[in-house]
Amino acid sequence: MQAAQGGDMRAYERLLKEITPKLRQIVWRRRQFFTSEEVEDQVQDVLLSLHAVRATFSPGRPFMPWLATIAHNRLADSARRYYRGKANEVQVDEFPVTFAEDPANEEVESYRDPGELANAIRGLPEGQRNAIEMLKLREMSLKEAATASGTSVGALKVSIHRAVATLRKALIKE
Amino acid sequence: MTTMDTDKLIERLAENADPVRRLAAPWVRTAMWIAIAAPYVALVVAMMAPRSDLQAKLSDFRFLLEQVAALSTGVAAAAAAFTSIVPGYDRRVALLPLAPLCVWLVSLGEGCIQALAQGGAGLDLESDFGCIPAIALVGALPAVAMALMLRKGAPLKPYISTALGGLAAAGLGNFGLRFSHPQDASVMVLVWQMGTVFLLTMLSAWAGRLILDWRPLLTNVRRNLGPG
Repeated sequence: MQAAQGGDMRAYERLLKEITPKLRQIVWRRRQFFTSEEVEDQVQDVLLSLHAVRATFSPGRPFMPWLATIAHNRLADSARRYYRGKANEVQVDEFPVTFAEDPANEEVESYRDPGELANAIRGLPEGQRNAIEMLKLREMSLKEAATASGTSVGALKVSIHRAVATLRKALIKE
Repeated sequence: MTTMDTDKLIERLAENADPVRRLAAPWVRTAMWIAIAAPYVALVVAMMAPRSDLQAKLSDFRFLLEQVAALSTGVAAAAAAFTSIVPGYDRRVALLPLAPLCVWLVSLGEGCIQALAQGGAGLDLESDFGCIPAIALVGALPAVAMALMLRKGAPLKPYISTALGGLAAAGLGNFGLRFSHPQDASVMVLVWQMGTVFLLTMLSAWAGRLILDWRPLLTNVRRNLGPG
């Protein structure tokens, strides 16, 4: 880590590869109900967090407690986010309202081929693809995505609208 | 949702691993903070004009004890705040300022009891809202310096870290204020000065997530990694 703080990319890559299985273990142990994809998400989140605060590591202090504190903190944060989201959901056995009209986006709702969807996303123009990745896949807010991509919120809204329309057209055609 | 293979992410992180300036040890950062805050506090106290009975007060044991306790609370809270943003430290370090804070409270409480024993004349509570802006003014620059320094660390416990930072700045502010503000009745100091310190600490805790948050840090890392 000391070498990584000095800008040694190889040492840093070696270190991150070495700790990744340990991070997976930590996440598995604390979240046994997670799917493997959720575990990987959490591991990636810890790696990003570690990268963000790597200046706080002191060579005079042990590395593992430093890493474990970050991992546990990020896990607690994700649990808080999960329960906050859950608190806004209402569980019902039956919907109390019957809808007179057909639900919107029926064809999109019934579409269930992630492979074709991934191909269709790959085929989008770069701006639209980035918008889909940031807003739909990474679930960033419009503001965060605008900062990350260096564009305006308005431009992102246009891109995502066009991307969804293009995807819908492409998938229905296929 | 996973958007990138973990191995790929590691490669990207390694490519973006520019050299970073290591954060100094918490006690070193505490000393740096005092070096920034102390001249400002001294300047503000000098501008507010020191109290006329300061010479006599410097030989008053209770005054000295409370000043040492206020200063120690501020310094211990600063050290605890700087420690709380470094992963791997024992979380109990947040309790560090409790000891001097207790000495401070006990001294003020004992003063109130003495006033009560002497017939309660010293227990008259008058309005002194001036304490709030005065302590806030003396603690303003230390508070800003504290917030900026805390943001260099990991936002592990935002509310606790900023509460400790607020206590540090308010404690130092109160320490400075008593050199210029001739208010010595224990009950007045307890309610108005200690009350202000408590209020500013609570306000700082409330601002925890505004000052310390993982989200902007991670957004910044993602931005540097680029799309994909």
